[in-house]
Amino acid sequence: MPEPRILKYTDALREATDQVMEQDANVFVMGLGVSYSKGADGTTAGLKQKYPDRVFDVPVSENGFTGMAVGAAIQGLHPIVHHGRVEFALLAMDPILTQAAKWNYMFGGGNPVPIVFRINIGRQWGNGPQHTQALYSLFGNVPGLKVVIPSTPRMAKGLLVSAVRDNNPVVLLEPRWLFQITEIVPQEIYTIPLDKARVVRKGSDITIVSYGDGLIASLEAVDLLEKEGVHVELVDLVSINPIDWETVFTSVNRTGRLMCVDTTNEAFNVGSEIIAKVAQSPTIALKEKPISLATPNVPCPTSTVLTELYYPTSVSIANKVLTLFGKSSIERSLSFEELHLAPTVMIG
Amino acid sequence: MLLIRIAEEEIAALYLKNKIMSFVHFYVGQEAVAVGVSDNLHLEDRAMGNHRSHGHYLAKGGNLRAMICELLGKEKGSSHGKGGSMHMIDKAVNFTGSTPILGSIVPLAAGSAFEQKYHRRDSITAVYFGDGASEEGVVYEVLNLAALFGLPILFVIENNLYSVNSKLRDRRSADYSVEKIVSGLGVKYLKANGNDYEDVHAQAGTLIKSIRAGHGPSLLECITFRHMAHSAPIMDDAQGYREEDVLEKRLQEDPIKKVKTKLLSQGIKEEELAVLEKEIRAQVSSDIQFAISAPYPAKESLYTDLYA
Repeated sequence: MPEPRILKYTDALREATDQVMEQDANVFVMGLGVSYSKGADGTTAGLKQKYPDRVFDVPVSENGFTGMAVGAAIQGLHPIVHHGRVEFALLAMDPILTQAAKWNYMFGGGNPVPIVFRINIGRQWGNGPQHTQALYSLFGNVPGLKVVIPSTPRMAKGLLVSAVRDNNPVVLLEPRWLFQITEIVPQEIYTIPLDKARVVRKGSDITIVSYGDGLIASLEAVDLLEKEGVHVELVDLVSINPIDWETVFTSVNRTGRLMCVDTTNEAFNVGSEIIAKVAQSPTIALKEKPISLATPNVPCPTSTVLTELYYPTSVSIANKVLTLFGKSSIERSLSFEELHLAPTVMIG
Repeated sequence: MLLIRIAEEEIAALYLKNKIMSFVHFYVGQEAVAVGVSDNLHLEDRAMGNHRSHGHYLAKGGNLRAMICELLGKEKGSSHGKGGSMHMIDKAVNFTGSTPILGSIVPLAAGSAFEQKYHRRDSITAVYFGDGASEEGVVYEVLNLAALFGLPILFVIENNLYSVNSKLRDRRSADYSVEKIVSGLGVKYLKANGNDYEDVHAQAGTLIKSIRAGHGPSLLECITFRHMAHSAPIMDDAQGYREEDVLEKRLQEDPIKKVKTKLLSQGIKEEELAVLEKEIRAQVSSDIQFAISAPYPAKESLYTDLYA
């Protein structure tokens, strides 16, 4: 048995890209600065040297180069397009939402668009209103896309490999907040299903549904709650388009309680969708009203004094649950580092 | 050219009888552009178009029957009724798609040419878009990308003087120069009389030769007249927005009339042309009859083809 390897989230993405490029000459990488020695936050590091004709730095023309990659996918190439922040991907919404997502359907089938859009998303200290939007629901709302959110390094590698092997447009929303977390990641190439949620922790008292960086905060909350005698079942949605309702419903059916944790604005968020569908299910009888925890409906500010109030934390998540069970809140202040710096924890 | 004209006339008539519930933009008057370009293309070359692409599709050899079925929302349509008039496709002849969001087809076509370069194919891609679409930011982005990557692509601007009914002078300064913009981005530029088949054919031929020789992208701007309204089966002179291209001028510059005059001068007889026209009209009528009686898609197909 080889020694277990511990990889960072970004290194897991890099390894997946390298391995799929090795296997399939139709895979190429395109995006701003992807050819740099530490390109795309290290996720494309060294690839230009290894595949000189298949890694393309591009002019600052998001709409143009993303659309060009979609056109190349229509003809059978398999592009991986990188956008360093979701706000830059917004400049390319026509090719992603209106072209790639509709192409197979609007031509009556037989017209696949095998492309991966890697989009960094969400919180990072000091980045303010226009660099931290968590526009997950936007992509969940568009039929024809597959939208996955890797929550750990092992998930990141397996989901990226699956995304590249899929014959459809796949949006990989990569929470920037998770780039430094580590996990044991197998060296060999492997896949993780694009459409399956996963139960991260088994528990009987309440189901917490989350994804991405919200899931990592929830994971810490689950440990805090365990000490208080509340056993949480934690579900990682993995995919928000389509949503794996079976896994969600099965869990909520068992626990009878539901809380959704989002790190995006509370209006129209993923948790709202989960709660709406659970509420309408004829087979689920909730013991308590469902809870949604998300960021307030204002843009994310820059000052740490304000962002401290903005995001759900392990403690705020745990206390919401404790209130539900009539238990007293945990009195614990998080350190500046815990509140404002990206986590470097090892998962598992 | 005549096939496109007759097909459009018959479809317009059908539209007026309320048989067509697919938004239609007629190509009447612009036929010299699609045919003049396509006559320089090979089967393996690709073409892509926009909301006004019946002509581009037929000029590339697209199946007329499948097109009319698609307009009528029938199962035997080229997209099984899911696309409609603004989404023409016939991959058997490498007409590889058309999209109506202005300018959106331009990066997709560049991607097609990118694939041709990536796989070192001998073929090229031609993409049609209007003067309105050419004002979209993405078009400028793609001209730069195409020049940067040396893509084998012919951009064809069909300048019919209007974006819907908005005049060029209401959208561009007096100093606006397509030639300077395009050349400045490193793309070869030529202009053609889009109401004249021979001129389009010659200018497109020159540019396509350059593209095939590996000299990178080119752009052909064709000045042409859209005979009918932006998106209705009618002449729209009553709206009063037209200046240069009034009905009399359009009929005078009609590209089909010009070709006919040329053919007659070359010794082809009026009767021979009449026979040809009759044959084409019979074919179009037969395809329309087929489409009218063809079945609609099964209701379950609403949910199919979301993913490949």
